[in-house]
Order: sequence, then C-alpha cells, then structure tokens
Amino acid sequence: MHHLVRRALSVALAAGLLTAPAATALAQSPAPSQGKVTFTVGILSDVDSTNPFTGIVVEAYEAYALMYDYLVTSSPKDVSAMPSLAESYQEAPDKKSWSYKIRAGVKWSDGQPLTARDAAYTFNRIINGDFEQTNYGNYVTNIERAEATDDTTLVLHVKKPTPIMERLAVPILPEHIWKDIDGTEVKSFANEPENGQAIVGSGPFRLIERRKGQFLRFEANKEYWRGAPKIDELVFRVFLNADAEAQALTRGEIDFAYDLQSNVLESLKNKPGITTRGSAYSGFDEIAFNTGAALADGTPIGDGHPALKDKQVRLAISHAIDRDVLVNRVLGGNGSPADTFIPPVYPALHLDPANKQNFDPAKANQLLDAAGYPKGADGVREKDGKKLALRLFVRDSSEESQATGEFVKTWLKDIGIDVTIKVMSEDALTEVIGQGEYDMFEWGWVVEPDPDYQMSVFTCGKRSYKDGDSIFADLSDSFYCNPEYDKLYEEQAGETDPAKRAELAKRMQQMVYDDAAYAMTYYYDDLVAYRSDKWTGFVPQPDPDGSLLFQYGIHSYLSIEPVRATSPASAAAAAEESGGMSSALIGGIVGAVAVLAVGGVLVARRRRTADADERE
Amino acid sequence: MTAFLTGTRGYVIRKIGWSLGTMLFVVVFNFFLFRLLPGDPIGLYSRGRNMAPEQLIKLRAELNRPIGAQFLEYLSNPFASTINSVRFNRPVWELVAERVWPTVLLVGTAILIASVAGVWLGIRSGWRRGGTFDRVTTGVTNTLYAMPEFWVGMVLLIALPFFPSGGISTPGVTGFLDTVLDTAWHMVLPVTALAIVYLAEYTSIMRASLVDELRQDYLQLARAKGLREDLVRRRHAVPNALLPTMTLIFLNLGFVIGGAITVETVYSWPGLGLLSYEALRGPDIPLLQAVFLLFSIGVVVFTLLADLLYAVLDPRVSTQ
Repeated sequence: MHHLVRRALSVALAAGLLTAPAATALAQSPAPSQGKVTFTVGILSDVDSTNPFTGIVVEAYEAYALMYDYLVTSSPKDVSAMPSLAESYQEAPDKKSWSYKIRAGVKWSDGQPLTARDAAYTFNRIINGDFEQTNYGNYVTNIERAEATDDTTLVLHVKKPTPIMERLAVPILPEHIWKDIDGTEVKSFANEPENGQAIVGSGPFRLIERRKGQFLRFEANKEYWRGAPKIDELVFRVFLNADAEAQALTRGEIDFAYDLQSNVLESLKNKPGITTRGSAYSGFDEIAFNTGAALADGTPIGDGHPALKDKQVRLAISHAIDRDVLVNRVLGGNGSPADTFIPPVYPALHLDPANKQNFDPAKANQLLDAAGYPKGADGVREKDGKKLALRLFVRDSSEESQATGEFVKTWLKDIGIDVTIKVMSEDALTEVIGQGEYDMFEWGWVVEPDPDYQMSVFTCGKRSYKDGDSIFADLSDSFYCNPEYDKLYEEQAGETDPAKRAELAKRMQQMVYDDAAYAMTYYYDDLVAYRSDKWTGFVPQPDPDGSLLFQYGIHSYLSIEPVRATSPASAAAAAEESGGMSSALIGGIVGAVAVLAVGGVLVARRRRTADADERE
Repeated sequence: MTAFLTGTRGYVIRKIGWSLGTMLFVVVFNFFLFRLLPGDPIGLYSRGRNMAPEQLIKLRAELNRPIGAQFLEYLSNPFASTINSVRFNRPVWELVAERVWPTVLLVGTAILIASVAGVWLGIRSGWRRGGTFDRVTTGVTNTLYAMPEFWVGMVLLIALPFFPSGGISTPGVTGFLDTVLDTAWHMVLPVTALAIVYLAEYTSIMRASLVDELRQDYLQLARAKGLREDLVRRRHAVPNALLPTMTLIFLNLGFVIGGAITVETVYSWPGLGLLSYEALRGPDIPLLQAVFLLFSIGVVVFTLLADLLYAVLDPRVSTQ
C-alpha cells in the first residue's frame, strides 16, 4: 500500500512541477480592461518602430495611420485620392503651389489645437531634415517649402507640377512635441508611451502601451472628427507563427488574423464563427527577364543570355506560362492571373490589355521558330551554336516562388528551352540582379496608390549605377530601357489631371506588356480570417473584394462594431469574459491539485528521511 | 613553471586561459565572417525606405573605410555596429539587451524544473533497473525525447486551450503582483514544452550513469557496513553518477543565451531565440553578428563554469 501511494504521488510530482505556475494564476486570470469593447488583431510581424520616421513594415504604417492624421487618404470605394485632414485642396492656377484647407476644431490628444502650422512644421522638417527624409523623402523632392498662411490654410510651394500632391502619405505631427526632438535625437527616438501617458496624436486611436515583440495597445479617440470609433480599445498582438495565430483566433483570444498563409487559411475554413477571406491585393508576382543588363549610362554589364534581348523570345516564354494553373496550384486559388503591372485593385489606373498573352504553346513554338531558334537533336533550341539554356532564380523564403519555378521549367522544356533553377536568398538575388548576372528570376512588387514609384522601375535611369569600382543596384530589375516609355514617364510626372495621368499610365503599361519586360504571373490575395460571429462593420477597400484591414487609410477601424444579435454588445463581451474565467479556473484547479501532490510527496519524503537518518 | 600549472590552481588557470583564447578567436572570427558574406548591406538596409541618395553615399563611406580601422573600432565594442539593425532600424546592442531577460526566464526555469525532476526520475529508475517504474519512465522519456520541440509546443497549444497561445503578458495588466502572475500564467506552456525535452535528456543520462555505478565494489562495502539502501544510493552512488548530468545541464545553460528558437517561435516569446529567428528571416546581418557573438560567448562561459565545477565535485579531475 505504502509503495502504491508513493508511486502515484511520484507521477503527480512530475505533472505538478510542470503545471505549478497555473495554481498561482488561479486568483488572477488575465482579464484586461473590464467592460471595454476591445478588438484584437493578430499580426505576424512586429511593428519595427512607433517613430514614424523610423519604421518601415506594413504593420508600422498601420500604427501611424491610427495615431496621426494625413492631409489626404485613399477612398474605400476605389482607392482614389480623398480629402482627409485637409477638407479640400487645390493646385494654384500658376501650378507653383498647392493649398490645403485644414479642418478647423481638430485637437491633439493633449488638448492643444491642431492647426495648419503643425502641418507646415511636419513638411518643413522633412524637407530640411536628414534622417527625416528616410521614409518620406520621395514625397517632398518636389516641394520647396511649406507655409501656413493662417490656422487653417497650408500652402506647399512646388518646384514643378506634380500629381503626388494628392497622395502625400505623411503623418502630421504635433509641433509642440516634436520641436524638442532634434535631428540627432530623432534617429533613436522611440515614440513610445511612458507611465501610461498616451503618445500625443490626432488620429482615431492613441497608443497607450507597447511591449516590443508582444503587442501594441491603442485607446479610441472618442472625439475623432470623422466620428468616434465604435470600439474602446484596439490591440495588435504579435505572433511569430501563423498556426499559433490561427489557434488564438479559434479560441477567441484574437478577433482578426492578418497575414495568413493559404494552408493555414484552409485549416480555418468552416470553423464555427470564423470567416476566411482572400482579399484582392495590390501585389503581383512576375518572371523578370534580363532584357540586356546595362548601367544607367548604357554601358553593358552582366552575363545575361543574349536571346532574352529579343522581344520575340520573351513573348514566347510569356505565352508558354499557364497562369490559371499557377493561381490554382501555387496560390490555392487565392489570386488571379496577371497581365499588367498596376493591379486591378486600382480600377482607375489598371490596364486590361486587349491582346492578352494567353497560354498557347503552339504560338510560343511558332515565335521561337520565327526568331531563328530551331530545335536541336536533343530537343533544345539553339542559334549560332548557342543553346537556348536559361537560368531561373527563385527565392528560398517563398514556397510560391519555388513552385512557380518548377512549373515554368516544365512548360519551357515543352517549347525547347532548357531551364536550370537555382534557389537563393532575396539578399543574394538582389545582388545578382544589380550586377545583371541572371537570365530570369521570380519575384514581385506591391504597388502603391500613387503609381509613380512602380512606373519608375521601368525607366532607363533606374538601371544599375557605378560608384567607384563597384556596381550597385537601383530599382530596375529587368533593365528595360525605352526612350518612348521614359518620355511618357516624364509627362505623367508633371500631369496633375488624374484622368489624363491615368491615360498615360495605361499607355505605359501597354508598352511594358507588349515588350514583355516581365512575364507577369499572378496578382495574389491578402489572406485573413476573422470572428464574424462577434464583429461586423468592416469596410473593404476597394469595394467589394479588397482588404478589410491594412488598407490605405483607416476606414474599417472607424466602423467595426460588435455583432448585436440578441444581446447588446456589453453582454456579449461579458459572456466572453466569464468563458475565459471558467477555463482559467479549470487550469487553476489542475495546478492546485498538482501543487498539493508535490507538497505531499515532499513532506512524506522529508519525514521518512529524517526518521531513517536518525536511526542509522 | 610546471609546478605552477599543476594541481587545482593549475587546472583553474589552464581552463580560464583556454576560455579566453577561445573567446578572442570568436570575437575576431565574428568580425571577418560577416565581412566575407556576399551582398550589399547598405542596399539591404535602404530597401523599402525612401532614402535620399546623399544618405546612401554617407553610409557607404562608413563601410569603405580601411578594414584595420574598422576592426579597431569593432574591438572597442564588438556589439556595436556601423549600421543599425536592418529590420528594427535601432542600434543592435539595444535590441539584444531587451531580449535577454525573457529568454533567461524561460530557459532558466525550464532547465531548473527539468534538472530537478530529471535527476530524480533518473535516480529512481536507474537504482531499480528493469523495474516497473524504470520501464515506464524510460519508455515515456524516450518517447518525449523523440518528439521535436515545435511539435510538442503545437500539441500543448492545441490540447490545453485555457492557457494563452503566446506572448509573455496580457495587454493592460499593471501592478507588480498582477504582472508576476500574468507572466507565470504565460510561462506555463513554453516552460512545459521546453522542460519536457530537457527532462528526457537528463533522466536518461542520470539513469545510465547510475547504472554504471551499480556493480561497483564501494557500494558493496557500504552495504556491508550496514547502511540502508536509500543511504547507499544517496551518499555514495548518486554523487559519483552526477558528473555526466552536470555536464549536460551546464552545456544547456550555455545555450540559455541562445534561447530555444523553436519554442520561442511557437509561443511568440519575445526572447533572443525569436530575435535571431527574425534576424535570419531578413537576413539582418548587423543583428545576426551581435547575436552570434553573444551565443558563442554564452557557450564558452558556461563550459568554463562546468569545468571549474568538476574540480569541486570530483577532485580527481584537477589532479589528473
């Protein structure tokens, strides 16, 4: 009997050691912010910095958009430019300045009024700054100076006409706070709440707590000029693992899971209370060609296969790619076949080409025959004794990239092109692209609402450059260079009429498409899942297939609200709270039993040992 | 001279000397390793940032200084780096410093629990080799040992839904006591997952070394003296069998600094393991350099401590 008891206890000991901390948590199960309506978003990448001059990840920009106001934003309907803190704006007739009418009566969270002077301060700080240019330099290259002519009028003087003035994604900062942070200090300034004091901002939410690598907690600004958010608190919680994020969503620890992979999304489908969604997104992937690597001044570099300088060969490759298969097999259906480089989420700018490069191996073969590449004895085409054997680089960080590579290799083999795939890191790939030492590679871009940056990628001036003896990459990754295209690019850069500019953008897309600088593969979706049993009111951007959160603007955050089916929101929240408690209770009891068991064993042992030691 | 280097004192001096040498090598190697890597660190840093070209030129100039000058500056503070962490745009040393404590807390607790429980289980099963307890323990620990950490982590995560799925604290919890309890609550799953893996190791090593001692003559002598079985075990067999287990525990302690990358990733634990994972994803070369250095130094320091502890536990070590 004695032995049996001890044996049982020893098993309990092992269990108890492992669950002991649970017992201590019995009294205090985490139940934050009682009575408040909190919306929690799971993110897979921590905000790198809450200082808007420092951070660069999407999650950081989302935080800035919540904390601060912007002159302009992007409409939820079609991502077109839309007034925001500036209730109206216009270009001066002489095209030398733009004036923005700043909304009156807006206050910073510390009670100070927000005026045009704050806006002027922010822009001048970037224009005259050094480190401040890091994140926003491109927006101000054409702005000479900013000036507040009165409390509600901001005037930005421009060097030459530019359409970017409708798209100034620059958070307006409070002068009375930031004037004390000089150009050196700003580099290491964290902009994080201390002692529970919220960061001073004017946006719909205020950052009140931040734990690096863990979470950011925002409190709603109930006086927000666009109307009070319907939630009290917003939390971004960091997960480094999509499976754990999905698990947290299933349990109701978080309400929205951002940045999921297709297999995780699949595992969440048909779970009660959860809605999964693939939203049309502003990103695309492509097979890029080395169309003839050269420096910006035209000096050839690299070792690209000469065949790819021939547009017909590139077109043939594009015709050999079955984009529907890629969408279904590589993306699991979460995307659409791609054609031009401005994705359809920008309906005003996207060009849907009439002459689609459809999957057509017969046509591909025909193009290659006509280009003078007959098939050799081994089935591989060649010209002047040089085989049509190409390298294709894919990225180690992306399974999609590698899968696409395998498909393309097979399709190109069918039309007599021999492909060697090499998997490499994005870092190494950036390097070889810059040097022009590649034939083809798989990668992609995310296109901003203002297409200037994306369009600049295909200009001659963005090819690699030389500094001393070393060659460095610029934006161009196809070395596409077409003087006609450059002319259109210059023209659109000064075109402030949105309709005329869109027309130019479409002509530029057609040009790059016809010249096949890229063989575009797909536009991929942004994959999310959320608790549709608890939350409603999301505003997709663009309507109706676009993203629900992490948009250009903060539209959804203003209208998300708890579902009011039978009980009011507070009851729903309360029910959730008690559910959490009861499971905590179970854990606590298990832990308490275990601790008692440990205690029992220790006492028993101590007593026996003491007795025995005395005896001997 | 030779007399100076013999005996316990000589042993200690030799070990410290070796450790210093290793550390020096690590510091130097770390500098050159990361300068041999291909790639353009400035290009990597500026990707995704709307930087003005003049700034890039300034940064490039920094990196184009003579290697000797760079090396001297590196030696003055090996953790500092010319370029900020690419991912976080902050000095790497700051980043590393704030991640040390969560990792020490997690891995330290797990090793403590696992070593106490593991040694105890190992003694129990080794002493009665072949008994029911032994067979059950060996079976269970071998099974646990065979399971990958991340898998154990995921299984616990799904099987025990009342514990938090990740992180180290709940948003909005304040006050000292509440914070401590909240942290303990968050520690349950990651500590369990990690302890399970260590536990299996410690149990099997402890058991094996105790079994080696079982047939030794000195145990017979102790029994002949009339000592009770419990005392024979506790006073004679266990101290002799403890050495290999100590080695293992200290080796693992060396990796405390390195963290448990997989467990930290599964539970989004904001420690060094997670930091190195994030650094690798980039790759964030300046951050990796600092993290590598810290890991290497951690291993060297704890190996040294283990060596020194041997001399205390078993005087034979230092006289040989």
